[in-house]
Amino acid sequence: MSEDLDARLRDALRPVAPRSELTEALIARLGGNQNLNAGHEPGGRHDGKDAAPAIAAPVSRVPPTRRLQRPVWWLPLGLAASLLLAVGIQGAHEREQREKGMEARRQVFEALRVTNQKLDLVARAVREESKS
Amino acid sequence: MSRVFVCLVAIMLWSVAAQAAPDARLVLPDFAGLEKKATDTVSITLDAGLLSLASGFMNSNDPKDATTQQIIKGLRGIYVRSFTFDHDFVYQASDLEAVRKQLEAPGWNRLVQTRSKKTHEDVDIYVMVENQQATGLALISSEPRELTIVNIVGAIDLEKLRKLEGQFGVPKIDLDSAASAVGDKPH
Repeated sequence: MSEDLDARLRDALRPVAPRSELTEALIARLGGNQNLNAGHEPGGRHDGKDAAPAIAAPVSRVPPTRRLQRPVWWLPLGLAASLLLAVGIQGAHEREQREKGMEARRQVFEALRVTNQKLDLVARAVREESKS
Repeated sequence: MSRVFVCLVAIMLWSVAAQAAPDARLVLPDFAGLEKKATDTVSITLDAGLLSLASGFMNSNDPKDATTQQIIKGLRGIYVRSFTFDHDFVYQASDLEAVRKQLEAPGWNRLVQTRSKKTHEDVDIYVMVENQQATGLALISSEPRELTIVNIVGAIDLEKLRKLEGQFGVPKIDLDSAASAVGDKPH
């Protein structure tokens, strides 16, 4: 029983030579690809030699011109992202400069306050000196 | 050819003159030891770039801002180190040795020196004068619990500085009379 099944399976899975139509179809397809790549001479003629049979058909159903005009959706998106990034960097730089400027301003006032405080000590000493 | 030679000589003379001109910027010590002992520290380092930046953030319509803008206009730097302590005389006179040494250099003139035996508040004001114009100011104030060093570099207009007095809650003083009253006093 098992031998019978084994023999039937072997018979079903034995290598079979391809049909002649398949070979022709493959050659035709290869010829079509060469035509698309060359893109100059429809009909598959290159350098005056017959490169493929006249029955060559294009691989893709979409015509080559339509494939070139495919909308590039990422281009405006990329531009918008770049613009946003540039605006963000500029904003961060301005904010940083502003913080730095305000801190410098605060330090100038602090420095002058300390200086004037010490000048006041001199004034007091002079006043006391003139009193005595 | 001769023009190039003249230009080269002019550049060389200018660089020699620039090197020969005394610099009003003091080399302030690290004061790391004092900083550790201090309860409050003020450390301000403002170079020409930062002063210019600060000036840009001041409102010229505000009298205090406008006066400050005028004062810092000709300055190349403001450097302040101030330490406050919670005990008397935590610092040593030797801590100021390096600064005082620099003020002995030619160009520096002592404008005011005050010594108070009662409060132990001592203040020294030095001015660097070049072509009859103050190009730098140094102030050393030593109090029992506070030590302050101020170094202002650049063309200081003392008149303008005086204008600012009172605007920080400090009464106006007369530096000329202060100098004449205390300057010749023996210490």
